[in-house]
Amino acid sequence: MIKFITKRLIIAIPTLLIIIAFGFIMMRVAPGGPFTNERALPPEIERNIQEAYNLNKPIYEQFFIYIKNLSVGDFGPSFKYKDFTVKELIISGLPVSATLGLSSIFISLILGSFLGIIAAIRKNTYFDYSIMGISLIGICVPSFVMAPILSLFFGLYLGLLPTSGWNGGNIFNLILPITALSLPQIAVISRMMRSSTIEVLNSNFIRTAKSKGLKSSYIIRKHVIRASILPIIEYLAPASAGLMTGSIIVEQIFGLPGIGRYFVVGALQRDYTLVSGVMILYASLLIILILITDILRAYLDPRVKI
Amino acid sequence: MQSIQKNIKNSDLLLEVNNLNVFFDTADGKIQAVKDVNLFINKGECLGIVGESGSGKTQTFFSITGLLSSNGYCNGSAIFKDFDLISASEDKKREYLGKSIGFIFQDPMTSLTPHMKIGEQLSEIATFHDNLSKSEALKRALNVLDIVKLPKSRNLINSYPHELSGGMKQRIMIAISLMCSPELIIADEPTTALDVTTQSEILNIFNDLQKGMGISIVLISHNIGVIAETSDRVMVMKGGKVVEKGSTFDVLTSPKDEYTKHLLSCIPPWLEG
Repeated sequence: MIKFITKRLIIAIPTLLIIIAFGFIMMRVAPGGPFTNERALPPEIERNIQEAYNLNKPIYEQFFIYIKNLSVGDFGPSFKYKDFTVKELIISGLPVSATLGLSSIFISLILGSFLGIIAAIRKNTYFDYSIMGISLIGICVPSFVMAPILSLFFGLYLGLLPTSGWNGGNIFNLILPITALSLPQIAVISRMMRSSTIEVLNSNFIRTAKSKGLKSSYIIRKHVIRASILPIIEYLAPASAGLMTGSIIVEQIFGLPGIGRYFVVGALQRDYTLVSGVMILYASLLIILILITDILRAYLDPRVKI
Repeated sequence: MQSIQKNIKNSDLLLEVNNLNVFFDTADGKIQAVKDVNLFINKGECLGIVGESGSGKTQTFFSITGLLSSNGYCNGSAIFKDFDLISASEDKKREYLGKSIGFIFQDPMTSLTPHMKIGEQLSEIATFHDNLSKSEALKRALNVLDIVKLPKSRNLINSYPHELSGGMKQRIMIAISLMCSPELIIADEPTTALDVTTQSEILNIFNDLQKGMGISIVLISHNIGVIAETSDRVMVMKGGKVVEKGSTFDVLTSPKDEYTKHLLSCIPPWLEG
């Protein structure tokens, strides 16, 4: 187990390097630069700035400087958010996005699999149809529609919850954004869980369990769930990496200081270091989550060796 | 032969099936898979059911034990020791399934839950039906492994199904059916997925169970050789109907029905006798 984890983490290093290099080159190939404005800067000032950020050096040299700084945990200064380093921006935004992401993935996993299992057991009943119908709506309605509706209804009309703001992570401020983030995930997970549970319920080993005269609830708990949750586990890694690094839409609508906006702002303004920093964060999260997924899968299915 | 027939006369009735019909709702309408089947099984007897695939032999016993797929339903009666399995509620039926009636399936490869240890799959049935503690159930499991000629080892108890061979898995399936000392074991093509040597070993176990422990066995097979080796009586099915029944000796030596004759003629002559 420890050998497996070490091996995977060592493999992750070249993977990350390739991702960093790719992002680095792509950003610099893109036209314009962080200091390109409509009004051209006086050449002297431009030269000074370029020098300050090492932009006058050849691209490979810039890359090595960047990697060298990275190795001591220095993500460099942000080109656009002056007075902030990329690290500071991420450290201030990540807790917000991670809180939202982790809670919503947790809620979606529990609720989604629960609804999916019930729908599978009651296949082709009104309960099944209504859950699948609602989840179809959940998938189809994008969060930029759902979030304002939630905010309007619960925040403005009913006045039950604050419409926006982080407020130091106050639970009432979190309810609406977490709901908006979770609804589509619940919908996806419940549909996946329903179909995989139906498949497991029709398998030969469930017939054996039935022939033992065991109670249905026991069969579901011991024989069905561990097999039917496998596809969900597979889906969870990319889904939670996406949610933890923030959903720009939900964060914008509810005015939350997460890191979702850095993806877009950084790319649009050619903030080289910020884009690289956020990319490294996303890639590392994804690598770690996929590793956790593989461990979980080996735990759930003994046929998988790690 | 004589001793077997005397045995049948002296023993009493265990399961009696009357006018059993099984239907399936399909996209093409209602299909009748089993048509008006009557049969009985005495205590300590082995009944062989022969027929080609789709002849309804498996569905007959699936319907009795409530294992029909969700689009299937049945009518008729199946009296198991004064208790009608077909009209009974799910809860009531569950008391008999696994406890008094063991079921062994065709495909041992997929019939065991892949993510549960062998020991747990064996013991859960005893903890459920006989209220044993986990350790008592595991102790019983070890003893049952002995009956099916598997090593009484903790290693085996702690392994997962994918670590065992097909023959071992089928022995585990038999062991599961034996956990609560059943009176009837229904074996649906138990040797079809196995190679010939393993096949004969498994059939020997069935012989031991029947002769040694007095358990009644229903052996469903398309292989007349298997039936001839183990059964006291045989029933031939085709298209959901029973076409012929009688003692194994009579049916195999002087078949009356055309289909049975045809089935028998399919055995290559050098295998006869």
